[in-house]
Amino acid sequence: MKGIIFALLGGACITLQGVANSRISQDIGTWQAATVTQLTGFLMALLILLIVRDGKHGGIKQVKPLYLAGGAFGAIVIFSEVTAIGQIGVTFTIGTLLIAQLGLTFLTDINGWFGVAKQKMKLPQFIGIALMVAGVVILKL
Amino acid sequence: MIIGILLSLLAGSLVALQNIFNSKVNERTGSWSTTTLVLGMGFIASLMMSLIVEGKDTFALQQMQPWYWFSGIIGVGVVICLVQALKLLGPTFAISIVLISQLGFALLWDSFGWLGLTKVPFTLNQFIGVLVIIAGILCFKFGGERVSRKAVASKTERLGA
Repeated sequence: MKGIIFALLGGACITLQGVANSRISQDIGTWQAATVTQLTGFLMALLILLIVRDGKHGGIKQVKPLYLAGGAFGAIVIFSEVTAIGQIGVTFTIGTLLIAQLGLTFLTDINGWFGVAKQKMKLPQFIGIALMVAGVVILKL
Repeated sequence: MIIGILLSLLAGSLVALQNIFNSKVNERTGSWSTTTLVLGMGFIASLMMSLIVEGKDTFALQQMQPWYWFSGIIGVGVVICLVQALKLLGPTFAISIVLISQLGFALLWDSFGWLGLTKVPFTLNQFIGVLVIIAGILCFKFGGERVSRKAVASKTERLGA
């Protein structure tokens, strides 16, 4: 039960992030909003890191630089999401976003891109994505 | 509308990539080291884009309301909740609930227009659409035990959006 509550809250927070960024973008620029929210998030995470110190010594150095830079995508993610929410609303945006997210994760898994363990294609995942597309279409009917 | 759809697809694709990349970092270090790095990178990239697009208006923050300064904490809340949920429920179950919750709250937000967003009226179509998407998510996540633990564990570091 506790786990379910954490998962529900986590999902709520992810949506809230997009919505809060949209609200902030109404008053300052969208890129500025992305800058401010990620700066404050960074400082908060840094504070927690200094308390829990969960880093393994030298661990970061073993990671490919490309992977270390992944966080930079956050800028484009926030900008795109905020702009999309303004145009098509929160539900349609999140629904469409999740299709691309699960779709690309699926493609990565079946092709073994980025060194992830390769997985066989399975019908349920195709049906799942098809259902999600159908759902998003129904939103707009 | 088409621009909104394309941008949503772009955002979702980048979230997927980010999840993979962040999980590679997370394999070598802890959740908070990864989170700090990810948000730091996002901050630097956003600041650069802002400087390119807005120039020195980047620092014109008179319109900021006090709570805007605390919005970043939401991202920290995401990490805390996901780490706990993954630990208690395992990846398939935890992430399914997270995705469904994302969508459910999106519908609530549209329907009530909280925080001054444009209200999108709640209709039967919206309700059925969301239910069909949820069915799709469940089918995707629970169909045929495809889910790889590693790829899913990376959800922990999903903070960008």
